[in-house]
Amino acid sequence: MAGAAAERKVIRVLLVEDEEIHRVLARALLRSAVGGVELDEAGTGAEAVRRVRDGGAGAYDLIITDGKMPVMDGHEATRQIRAMGVTTPIVGLSSDTLPPDVDTFIKAGADDFTPKPLSKEKLVRILAKFNLA
Amino acid sequence: MAAAALREQLNALLSSMFASGLVDDQFQQLQMLQEDGGTPGFVAEVVTLFCDDADRIISELAALLEQPIVDFDKVDAYVHQLKGSSASVGAQKVKFTCMQFRQLCQDKNRDGCIMALAVVRNEFYDLRNKFQTMLQLEQQIQAQQ
Repeated sequence: MAGAAAERKVIRVLLVEDEEIHRVLARALLRSAVGGVELDEAGTGAEAVRRVRDGGAGAYDLIITDGKMPVMDGHEATRQIRAMGVTTPIVGLSSDTLPPDVDTFIKAGADDFTPKPLSKEKLVRILAKFNLA
Repeated sequence: MAAAALREQLNALLSSMFASGLVDDQFQQLQMLQEDGGTPGFVAEVVTLFCDDADRIISELAALLEQPIVDFDKVDAYVHQLKGSSASVGAQKVKFTCMQFRQLCQDKNRDGCIMALAVVRNEFYDLRNKFQTMLQLEQQIQAQQ
């Protein structure tokens, strides 16, 4: 799936974040770092789960999710997405960066974690790791 | 005032903001994103979002800390939010104070939290004033072009 995305040169990203300031920054970084990006956004973990369920297993090439959000947090959303059998790379993004915080994301099924704030360097690393650059 | 003089004023302001530790590399990232992406209003958008968020959060914190019994979990959640948005905009001093503030929340130190809130408020007001001056100078420079 990641190889297909690289060939297509447009990556489909789901950004899960409740705060507008972080969404604005992530949008700008994604559009700057990636030649072509189709960006969907969800303001809660519940909305993220719904988008993934409605879109099917191959709906996204990458999911970037905040931790703490209203209604459903990013850890629970990750668990539910994995329970659907979806193997899309999921990256946790949070300013809670102690080992137990990172561990919570990984145990929920995330593939990686990066501390806030998102930056060009962090995004390039993530895209390279999942062969999406 | 001529554009060159305005530009000099703006550069001096930005230099002093970096030199005093008011903003850090993250703010420079925002500036680069604006220039590289050709999105003229990007920094203004992020700065405005931050200032609106911070204003609201500081008011909420003040109200929570006035309660006879302080809900430190709620206080911590707001400080966490402010720390996150200050980090995203590069508001270094505000971010560092929030880190200390969170420790005081975890210690359930009410007096310490009240003092930390006063420091955060002052640092935020200082930064907001400088951001406002920066945006005004940018608008004046744009108007001359």
